[in-house]
Amino acid sequence: MKPLVVLGFLGTQIDATDPARRWDRWRPTVSLFQHEDFLVDRLELFRERKDETLTRMVLEDIASISPETELRDHTLEFKDPWDFEQVFAALHDFAGSYDFKPEEEDYLVHITTGSHVAQICLFLLTESRHFPASLIQSAPPIQRSHYEARYQIIDLDLSRYDRMAARFKLEQAQGVDYLKSGIPTRNPAFNQQIELIEKVALASTAPVLLMGPTGAGKSSLAGRIYELRRQRLGMEGPFVEVNCATLRGDSAMSTLFGHRKGAFTGASSDRGGLLREAHGGLLFLDEIGELGPDEQAMLLRAVEARRFLPLGSDQETESDFQLIAGTNRDLRQRVREGQFREDLLARIDLWTFELPGLKDRLEDLPPNLDYELQQFTARSGQRVRFNKEAREHYLSFARSPEALWAGNFRDLGGSVTRMATLAPAGRIRVDEVRDEITRLRRAWQSHDESSHRLETLLGRDYRERFDDFDLFQLEGVLKVCASSASLSAAGRRLFAISRARKSSSNDADRLRKYLARFNLDFAELQQEPLPG
Amino acid sequence: MSELLHIDGSQGEGGGQVLRTALGLSLVTGRPFQIDAIRARRRKPGLMRQHLTAVKAAGEVGRARLRGAELGSMSLRFEPGEVRAGEYEFRIGTAGSTNLVLQAVLPAMLVSDQAWFVRIHGGTHNRMAPTAPFLTHCFVPMLDRMGARVSVHLERAGFYPAGGGILSCQKRAGGQLAPLDILERGKLLEKEAGALVAQLSRSIAQREIAVITKELSWQKNRTIIEEIEDSQGPGNLCWIRMAYEHSTAWFTGFGEQRKSAERVAHSCLDEAKAFLAHDAPIEKHLCDQLLLPMALAGGGSFRTTAPTPHSLTNAEVIQSFLPIDIRFEKEPDRAWLVTLTAQ
Repeated sequence: MKPLVVLGFLGTQIDATDPARRWDRWRPTVSLFQHEDFLVDRLELFRERKDETLTRMVLEDIASISPETELRDHTLEFKDPWDFEQVFAALHDFAGSYDFKPEEEDYLVHITTGSHVAQICLFLLTESRHFPASLIQSAPPIQRSHYEARYQIIDLDLSRYDRMAARFKLEQAQGVDYLKSGIPTRNPAFNQQIELIEKVALASTAPVLLMGPTGAGKSSLAGRIYELRRQRLGMEGPFVEVNCATLRGDSAMSTLFGHRKGAFTGASSDRGGLLREAHGGLLFLDEIGELGPDEQAMLLRAVEARRFLPLGSDQETESDFQLIAGTNRDLRQRVREGQFREDLLARIDLWTFELPGLKDRLEDLPPNLDYELQQFTARSGQRVRFNKEAREHYLSFARSPEALWAGNFRDLGGSVTRMATLAPAGRIRVDEVRDEITRLRRAWQSHDESSHRLETLLGRDYRERFDDFDLFQLEGVLKVCASSASLSAAGRRLFAISRARKSSSNDADRLRKYLARFNLDFAELQQEPLPG
Repeated sequence: MSELLHIDGSQGEGGGQVLRTALGLSLVTGRPFQIDAIRARRRKPGLMRQHLTAVKAAGEVGRARLRGAELGSMSLRFEPGEVRAGEYEFRIGTAGSTNLVLQAVLPAMLVSDQAWFVRIHGGTHNRMAPTAPFLTHCFVPMLDRMGARVSVHLERAGFYPAGGGILSCQKRAGGQLAPLDILERGKLLEKEAGALVAQLSRSIAQREIAVITKELSWQKNRTIIEEIEDSQGPGNLCWIRMAYEHSTAWFTGFGEQRKSAERVAHSCLDEAKAFLAHDAPIEKHLCDQLLLPMALAGGGSFRTTAPTPHSLTNAEVIQSFLPIDIRFEKEPDRAWLVTLTAQ
């Protein structure tokens, strides 16, 4: 146990009392040393010069009841104990000159004594870690006949405010409200949708398909359906989430379904896979349209029979998981193109919900704005508000046709985070809003330019057919192609590293195949040169 | 070094007594011990500040190695080294009982043939612990009769919650404990109703004494009022002392806030009346204290009113350290005969 040091003010009123009656009274500073189960190794007492007599009495009494404690007093000079600046300066100076050794000693700042100004200053300096301490608050005995006073130690590290955090959670934990993250949304279509989802989530364990553009909140909704089932239906397994667009090649099978040791080069031990991990819980497969044909076949088996074959194994594994799939593509279109299995789609689209983008729910902007601010507070521990005028200004831009909200609620979240971070003293002013609007315009404009190129090449509905993940890559590839004289020249530039390692010889062929996936060929790109 | 003795700290009444007796006897026998589940059934389990002070005092006297000597600790290992006679000074916090600290080191003093002087700061008149006047009037005379050259002196009174008292215990060189048998009270030599007020009105003491003498229908008794000015804080208690030829009985009533002087007096009257209706020479609180020195003397016997759970637990711990047999036998006339026999 590290030695414990208490720092606090002498209570010029509250520690002082008729000397003859002082042991009948609650004196906060003295009371800290009267606990059988609490031992302070050192006291650093702040006091003013004029309080010499009181200091001597208090310290003498503490010495009598706590011979274990080393006692020190410090005269702090301020003309007016109610002057914020003077008190803060005195304490700030003390904190700067005191030899804190948090590795060797634990510190508690006593905030029951001293003027309110002193208490506030102590709080601020402790919160800012100028005093590397927790707070201690003492309180009188519950019954006056009891000698034993009470104390409470408060750690300002926000992560430890468990009970307070639990209260916020409780507010949100109510069904429909919960699925909407507690956001009082107004869009009637969306609200109806959510009510239906709540019913389905609690009444059925069949797969659910969530459709909607990127940033519409599919992933967050899946997580909340899981929480709801966990709380109401006692689901015990975990929530496992994966974006299928990130699964490529051999590792896709292994990531999802697991493998046996030695199934392929590098498979040095058994791996359970995500489906197995989701046993008894909920698996959220985002961008399910990106799954390769082999994975689709195995997933179908897993959904229908609750069994599947890990890579390199001759024994099927069982997993009883519930499935939610997400997509921003038209899966029927993918079926027609032969890219997605019809039987798998039939299995997962029993319950299909389409989440509208932000542009289709403009009336939900204000409540979502409030929500994002709350989220910021929860993350940063810092409360941020809009000035009235600033809020109006932001909302009017957000509702205008000029605001594209290409990334939907994700864009809104990012936008609020930026403004909140830059806001001085927790107030977002018109200045911050203006700067943010400029940033959003710029982002959407570049988005607009590149999307114009892609639209010309890939067709109007390209956003429904391809992931951002692929589009970002394609954009870069197209730039190189546009500035290269031939397919081979472009291939050399794009695959320079693997070429140097001699791991690939036919760059041109590799590039041709890549472009073919988007139904593009090099000649087409040359006819339509991209600027930049 | 002899084998480690394991002690269950939650046995019997499961308080600090088990710990104090173990500390005292470990110093006497040189036997190390490990105590677990210290005060396990108490509201605040483990070592409290007063216990820690006792552990450290015994550790200092016996140059012991300590493990787990921390606030709130539920386990303690105590490995004594060489016990050195001499002068010691200990300070106990929260106005804890000085006598409870003394209990941890007194056994080592009793078996030593050298001179000792131990001074302890803290509470001297505590509820739930033998008070300083009880020691000087009842307990020390017994030690004297057993041959111990020990005296206890109240230097300054200390009361809860302010503390600040000083109790000192002196042991002269030489002397050896011998068995003692106390089976009869003998003649009543003196009866006394007393009260003490520290920084409180003398009238409180007068009222307490009036109630005691009236309730006991006493006439030619001694009365004594002690007024104390130099204590750290206020205090009040009253007592009934009955000195017999072979033993002295002492009953204390403790004053506290919001408790009338009359109720304070009544709180020691019930015990005194029960004792008067009896003929056993040793009342139960003295019984608690006598077991250990008698065990160190290698034997003895006495008749008592009724052994407390404290006494029974104490006897268990004593028997685990010393080769002695302690028996409690109920007699036909409501008294208990306690016999200690060396094995």
